[in-house]
Amino acid sequence: MVTIYIDGVGYEVPAGTNLVDVAKFYADNDIPVFCYHPKMAPVGMCRMCLVEMGSVEKDKESGTVLLDEQGSPKIRWMPKMQTACTQTVYDGLAIRTNTQQVTEAREDIVEFLLTSHPLDCPICDKGGECPLQNLTMRHGPGVSVFYFEDKMHLAKHVPLGELIYLDRERCIQCARCIRFSDELAGDDVLAFHERGRALQIVTVSDPPFDSKFSGNTTDICPVGALTTADFRFGARPWELKEVPSIDPYGPEGANISLSTRLDRDSGGGIIIKRVMPRQNEHVNEIWISDKTRFGHHHTRHIDRLVTPLHREKNTLIETTWDKAFKQIIDKLKGATSVGAIAGPGLSNEDLWELRQLVLAVGGSEKSLGIWPATMSGGEVVKQVGIAKGSNFNTMGKGTVIVLVATDLEEEAPIWWLRAKAARDRGATVVVLNGRPTKMDRYAKFSLRHEYGDAVGAINSLTAHIVNGNHHKADRAEGFAELQKALKKVKADDRYAAAAEAIAGADNVVVFCGAEGVTLAQHAELMQACANVLILTGHVGRTNNGLIPVWPGANTQGAIDLGYTAEATAELLQNPPAVLIVAGCNPVGEDIAAANLRNADFVIVTSQFDTATTAIADVVLPQQSFAEREGTFTSGERRVQRFYAAQGVIGESFPDWKIFAQVRHAIDKSTAKVSAGAVMAEITKSVAAYSAMGYKNLAQVERQFPDVGGTDQYYGGTAYQNTGGIGVQWPVSAENAEAKLNVVPVSSEKSKAKGLLVVPTTLLYDRGMLFVRSEIMSLRIPPAHANFSPADAQKLKLQDGDMVEINLEGASLTVQIIVNETIPAGVITLPKCLSDQPGPFAPMVAGSIEKVAQALAATGD
Amino acid sequence: MAYILLRDLDIPDIGKLDVYTTNGGWEGFKKAVTQHTPEEVINIVIDSNLRGRGGAGFSAGRKWSFIPKNEPVKYVVVNADESEPGTFKDRQIMEKNPYQLIEGAMICAYAIQATAVYIYCRGEFWDLAHNLEACIAEAREQNLIGQNILGGNWSCDMFVHLGAGAYICGEESALLNSLQGFLGQPRVRPPFPAQKGGGLYYEPTVVNNVETLANVPWILVNGAAEYKKIGTPESPGPKIFSVSGHVARPGNYEVPLGTTFRELLFDKAGGTGTNKAFKALLPSGASGPVIPVTEQMLDTPMTYEALGKLGSTLGSASFILMDESTDMVWAAYKMIKFFKHESCGKCTPCREGTHWLAKLMEHVIHGEATMLDLEKLENVAKQMNGKSLCALNDFAINPILATLKHFRSEYVAYIKTPAPAAKPKQPAPVKKQLEEVAEPAGD
Repeated sequence: MVTIYIDGVGYEVPAGTNLVDVAKFYADNDIPVFCYHPKMAPVGMCRMCLVEMGSVEKDKESGTVLLDEQGSPKIRWMPKMQTACTQTVYDGLAIRTNTQQVTEAREDIVEFLLTSHPLDCPICDKGGECPLQNLTMRHGPGVSVFYFEDKMHLAKHVPLGELIYLDRERCIQCARCIRFSDELAGDDVLAFHERGRALQIVTVSDPPFDSKFSGNTTDICPVGALTTADFRFGARPWELKEVPSIDPYGPEGANISLSTRLDRDSGGGIIIKRVMPRQNEHVNEIWISDKTRFGHHHTRHIDRLVTPLHREKNTLIETTWDKAFKQIIDKLKGATSVGAIAGPGLSNEDLWELRQLVLAVGGSEKSLGIWPATMSGGEVVKQVGIAKGSNFNTMGKGTVIVLVATDLEEEAPIWWLRAKAARDRGATVVVLNGRPTKMDRYAKFSLRHEYGDAVGAINSLTAHIVNGNHHKADRAEGFAELQKALKKVKADDRYAAAAEAIAGADNVVVFCGAEGVTLAQHAELMQACANVLILTGHVGRTNNGLIPVWPGANTQGAIDLGYTAEATAELLQNPPAVLIVAGCNPVGEDIAAANLRNADFVIVTSQFDTATTAIADVVLPQQSFAEREGTFTSGERRVQRFYAAQGVIGESFPDWKIFAQVRHAIDKSTAKVSAGAVMAEITKSVAAYSAMGYKNLAQVERQFPDVGGTDQYYGGTAYQNTGGIGVQWPVSAENAEAKLNVVPVSSEKSKAKGLLVVPTTLLYDRGMLFVRSEIMSLRIPPAHANFSPADAQKLKLQDGDMVEINLEGASLTVQIIVNETIPAGVITLPKCLSDQPGPFAPMVAGSIEKVAQALAATGD
Repeated sequence: MAYILLRDLDIPDIGKLDVYTTNGGWEGFKKAVTQHTPEEVINIVIDSNLRGRGGAGFSAGRKWSFIPKNEPVKYVVVNADESEPGTFKDRQIMEKNPYQLIEGAMICAYAIQATAVYIYCRGEFWDLAHNLEACIAEAREQNLIGQNILGGNWSCDMFVHLGAGAYICGEESALLNSLQGFLGQPRVRPPFPAQKGGGLYYEPTVVNNVETLANVPWILVNGAAEYKKIGTPESPGPKIFSVSGHVARPGNYEVPLGTTFRELLFDKAGGTGTNKAFKALLPSGASGPVIPVTEQMLDTPMTYEALGKLGSTLGSASFILMDESTDMVWAAYKMIKFFKHESCGKCTPCREGTHWLAKLMEHVIHGEATMLDLEKLENVAKQMNGKSLCALNDFAINPILATLKHFRSEYVAYIKTPAPAAKPKQPAPVKKQLEEVAEPAGD
């Protein structure tokens, strides 16, 4: 802590922090800024934050502060005013913010800015939550002597891509958008063009503004220059009611705010007008991906199912809830076997009631499956998951971030963003995957392994750690056995340096995905990662541990409540007599789910018609995340609440309510009347969730830096977190006494010959919910497969050819892309891009036939 | 006395390496490398009190001494952007006597143990830059540049880079940005170029003007004491004055600092050459405040200190002379338009202020202004003063404030409606020019 003086008052503030941030947080002194943003390096270009600055005079020998006659410290002031935003606090720093000189400087800068600003606030989307507006009200001169006719008139609707529009008149050239894209998102897509008054923002990428984080620039834009195609001219900020919610797509648990209002588009009902980030410094800071921001349109899509359906004469027809329930109850009562597959967007409450129902009608935990069923290792997470209280904001020098078998930006963009920021602060990044991904640009160690041999790669790391005597075995249970097994591992030399970096780091975080890994291999891969973490002592402490890159928003919650991917695999192999599929579309996505047709009776809860509802006997309309409340558990095991935001569509119900009603009819248990009551039952039954009562989850805290509420950096209310910051549950490694299991794992390479098809995950896919956001349709690539140049040549295929790939009885027609980053012998096939189901696990391709030639280049 | 900088006037072929070498060329460099440690070289230059010739007049030797010793990578950047209107001294050095610059830069590189030297030329110096490259190649062959220079352990290469035509890139941090391939905009300081994190590619860097470095070989050969005998104690050494405008013999004149204006303007440049008298002088291109030419002023010695006392700066010593036929309002208008055109747009006061001032001056020139507008000119200029990252902002207000101070009556003559009548209340119907893209260049 250091002492700084603001307007003559001393404050104790943390050393090394930014003056503007601490003045606001500790002294409640809002130094006005336009270009400065607490999440980015200062540039000092808008000149709004000019203050008088000086240093306290100290006695040269004793170092004590010299005092003047009034007993206040003597200060040597600099002759010119300085920008506060470029100043890091140091002991004895003094500023004056309330003098005439400073007040006049602020008036001057506001007046200058407004000479080139159209002042079209009445038709501006930002009006009402605009920093320029707010700061003009607070610091502006009130009048200007600038001649109105001398204003420049510039283009007002410049598309920077199809998602973001630029109003050149409103832009005040603060470069926040450029700096965000460049520095934080790592996307070199925006730039300044021209100079002086002609300085303008342009996009320099093709496709334009090619970034998965582009929407964030509209939030940080201090004027209405950048607006989203989704929200512009949609509503005025003061009409909007902000409802705290959680990202329904990713495992990061990004905190969002649903801006809602009564709208004619819904015939007067409440709908979501936009999705905004909500500040949670533990989770997503103030960022969300474009998928989260623009992917909300499914909540009120015209195709939403509005009534229950049941099968009559082989077609699904509308029915009533009563009739549907009766059918379901009859079937469940007499069922010889029952199973359930739970989708990635089911809340903990839904999962609990579904579980209770399945158990009540004779099912077991072995019949509770999760979807997508690509990842395993819930037990490993319980031991060595990232420790409670960890925060990427506090990671930097001394931290090693390891990415295993994941394309993190596509699978969990917010984690990618935060891991990259940690890297920019000095953290070391190690990437282990079969092909390069965006994170490789920032990695110190980019280590390629053969797809299918991820476990072998981690074993190499472990072997180097143990052989080099870098390990600490004091907490490792079963180390002797592991050591014995490691003797047989031929440690690849390429891994030696990375192993040393991991062993020597202060903190290590491992992201473990499942690219190119089968479900069986994944359980071993997670254990392999755990072995490394345990043997290097990087468990149970803040900023250490394993983060599984789960495929869904609440996969962690499902695992916590007893669901497993192994159960799904079993259900796909041997479908039960009665199958409940809740909120997912296995049949339409995965070729391995074709078998589900063989179940006698299929109950599906869904928001839309899918290939899975097509095999259903009863379809029940399910509410989207926006219509109901509930909780999701993030990949960092943070349980977070979301709240009901929009009006209910049709006769849909939340899943928990549906399953609770059915169970009530079967076993006469008390049907819960609220999601909170369901959670209350979970807190009593599931040890990890004992502290997850709704009241606890709604707790908020003051966050640093301040970017919400009355704050003038942003000026809006959406960032403000009123919904709760969530509660993490601790892992067993956090108990210092606990022994942790290290287990030898081996990698069995597939012996099958042929091209290996590796399914990959893309952020923008044709998943049944996301595809309903038509605004994103141009960002979703066509169904394609990436071939290495060598394989393409061998098969006489060209970039753009259409091919039919045969896979274990199924076939898939895709366009091919010849991609140099793909290793020979491998085809990467992004999941969920086609109407046909594709593989979810790596498998060897059968025949590959060209079905259409690439269009010849047009030559222009 | 023989020329020190413009040696081509004495020895026409000095631009050839052999001629340069036989006439004492590279002696300073060889002496530095073989007889002195880097610290000694810095001390000699500090001792000589050589002041930066680019405009700021900061001690060159002290600038070198700020470079941290233990950093492995360090750079010398030669500022050959020479973009101040009316400045053409560096051009003559590089055109006619390039090896003297190259030698000076290599001495500097040796003094700070730099790993590379970059010469940043303005975009218009196309031919000159290619000639420099050829010169560097020849010097490289002679082992004066490159690996293990003169058989020692020190290696340093030299490169020439062409800018893309921006005045702001003469500002050192904008120059560094441009050199790195970024937009030519000044950087936040600290860190300063001499510090880690502030220089070229964020490594410690010395940025020196061409003329400054051209002084260095002579200092090494003849010693600091000899050098200080030229000029005045505070401003020692020779200085090239680029004289242009209403003079009989415009051109570059190398005279010792401390020479009086009269000597330069009349004895060398031959007065106006017409029957008109001098009216005003821009002593450092467009960026320094204009000085009225008076008898008393003509007897002032030209030094960094004396120009300060006259309310102006010596700057790069590009003297633009204006005789009594000059319309000072028009001149100020041209200058503010220049600054408006060259403002990089990074800082609000400069970006918006130059635009506003230019608009106001337009009103004055077109006879649409009122007395209120003159006040406004002054107020806007004061509003800008001292609020930006770099000096362009403060330079931009000089032509307005100085001409208003010395030649206010000329402004008043432009006012057709002296009474402070307000502008028409109803704004003229705004043309729906939604696509007025960038203002046409050079308007």
